[in-house]
Amino acid sequence: MCFIMSMKRLKVPVLLMSMVCAITLSATSDEFVTALTGKFPPFNYYNEGGDLAGFDVDVSREIAKRLKKELRIVTTEWDGIIAGLLAGKYDAIVASMAITPERKQSVNFSEPYYRSGAQMFVHRDNPNHIYSIDECSGLRIAVVLGETYQQFLEKNYPDIEVVTLKSTVSIFEMMEQQRIAGFVTDRLVGLWQIKNAGRSFVPVGEMLYTESIGIPVRKDSNKLLKQINRSISDMKVDGTMDKIYQKYFGTVGVAEGESAVGGMTFSIIANKLLKGFAITLLIAFLAISLGFLFSIPTGLLLVYNSGFWALPSRIIRMFVDFIRGTPVLIQLLFVWLGLGLKAFPAAIITLGICAMCYMAEAVRAGLISVAPGQALAARALGLSSFDRFRFVIWPQAFRIALPSLMNNVVALIKDTALVSIISIPELIREAQSIISVTFEPHKYYLIAALMFFAVTFPLMKLSGRIERAIQAKGFKHD
Amino acid sequence: MIKIENLSYTYGDGTQAIKNLNISFPSEHIFAIMGFSGSGKTTLLNCISRFIKPQQGKIFLDNQNIFEMDVKSFREAIGVVFQALNLFPHMTVLENMTLAPCRLRRINEKDAKNSAREMLERLGILELADHYPSQVSGGQAQRVAIGRGLMLKPRLMLLDEPTSALDARTTEDFSRWIRELQSDTNFIVVTHDLEFARTAASKGMFMSEGEIVESGNIDGVLRHIKRG
Repeated sequence: MCFIMSMKRLKVPVLLMSMVCAITLSATSDEFVTALTGKFPPFNYYNEGGDLAGFDVDVSREIAKRLKKELRIVTTEWDGIIAGLLAGKYDAIVASMAITPERKQSVNFSEPYYRSGAQMFVHRDNPNHIYSIDECSGLRIAVVLGETYQQFLEKNYPDIEVVTLKSTVSIFEMMEQQRIAGFVTDRLVGLWQIKNAGRSFVPVGEMLYTESIGIPVRKDSNKLLKQINRSISDMKVDGTMDKIYQKYFGTVGVAEGESAVGGMTFSIIANKLLKGFAITLLIAFLAISLGFLFSIPTGLLLVYNSGFWALPSRIIRMFVDFIRGTPVLIQLLFVWLGLGLKAFPAAIITLGICAMCYMAEAVRAGLISVAPGQALAARALGLSSFDRFRFVIWPQAFRIALPSLMNNVVALIKDTALVSIISIPELIREAQSIISVTFEPHKYYLIAALMFFAVTFPLMKLSGRIERAIQAKGFKHD
Repeated sequence: MIKIENLSYTYGDGTQAIKNLNISFPSEHIFAIMGFSGSGKTTLLNCISRFIKPQQGKIFLDNQNIFEMDVKSFREAIGVVFQALNLFPHMTVLENMTLAPCRLRRINEKDAKNSAREMLERLGILELADHYPSQVSGGQAQRVAIGRGLMLKPRLMLLDEPTSALDARTTEDFSRWIRELQSDTNFIVVTHDLEFARTAASKGMFMSEGEIVESGNIDGVLRHIKRG
């Protein structure tokens, strides 16, 4: 009987929940935790071995050494990187962040650890005949979303149509399709990226401005800020900073020796994708198990809303409506940054609650579709209220709810893609980190999509088969 | 066996469905409760089966007030078969019959299945054991529902409009069949089908507007109705 099967399964989620609790525990006092995106080569990126590398990574490592702490690097999205700092997810951001007055309002910056500048690039053929930023009125110029170049262009060159794109990869694609006239980015980074991607883009004109790159910390981290500043000035004095700079941007040593940046081998890529997908599926499995477990009492509460249960039922109804009526993305960010949970528990709890709410609706629909006479007949036979539910009501409700429960499972698996935003190294994030080095978005997004499909497609087929099997067994719901 | 004293039942909307009713249902009989729709006969059945609690009056089963009995022993003593039968559609005929004995009496599944098979054989529908309710005819489903109720060996079975879904011929078979069963269980049958009442029941009563118009031997009651 289906019900008995689902009862046996209950033990698994409970076990896995305790695993999740174990993940949440981690020491902090001996660690120097920094954040970066891992998508900004050569400052921070994944190298051929799939490990984090780059100028920022080396600087972080050197500072941690001088602080006599263990370095732990968190990779996160650029969009929410300051919010994560403020929420205490990490101690500092060593991610090539420019010092700006706006940012200074929410964080304190260290002394600059390097200076760079904004540079405009165009296609070598220069179809628009642009030789400086002043000649770009009415043209579409791209910047990466969230970078300082956007405000600069909008303020100083109001006639330019500024296009904000998610990454350099998309900028390059748009350039090739001539959908933008040029782009503005960091001079060093831009040159490196163009060379690496084998594109024919060239810098034109003077640098728009130069900017100082610092390390932001929370405003209450004065002691840490002092230590970081001392480390930076020590590094400048003893030549460490220069050595790191030379490693990435010096004319000596880039071509030979340890190749600082480059492509990834196939096995590293496969490994990253599979590991990412395993995490995706683990999160989906835990969230769905949790959600299903709690969807049964929730669904029951939604149906039995009289007497003592009237108020709890009303509250649950409101809660379910609220969760169903708000974007999962916001819920994730709220739990992660707002409530300050660690990324994994935040993902599992948020998606679990989502699963609970969506599945509770399916359970509710199943319960109210069971003919009222069924409960009465079970009562007439003297069955206890638990037995009535267990043997008569639930098996019928479950069969009715099964197709929509399966749809929810498929939707939930797809929703796990969203947790990449809260810095969990799942499939999408791994794909992005590969793309930031290989510059092949078409290939790796397609592979990621196919990996999802390989799981969801059999589930969709299974759903159809179960439905037919139930009908063939003679159980039909009128 | 069943004795009703001063029973009144009023619905929430103020309709008085049963008005100060007094009657005894004798043992060893098939007793028919007759009446047109709205006469209060189904309300009376629901009171006797404890699905609703009357505002006034008492119902005794072998001198025990049924509202003071514990639920389990009451349900074991009185079986109910609904007009819609309410067989469990996700269980086979056999599973429908073994559920209550297994859960209430803690009989092991094998013994319960054996006695369910014996019951089905007595009811003449053994071949239906592994069918699902959706795969049997209306007359067969009726027998399964009664068989399911009989599995707990109740002292009394209440049947609500058992012939409403049966055609004339099946009704005739059914009244013969139920008379054969009557040797070990008593039946109270609520029906508007006077022909069925005549062939199946030996005693009965006729209700109208919550009151008893006539009661006694079935022929006498039916004569009275025809005259009235």
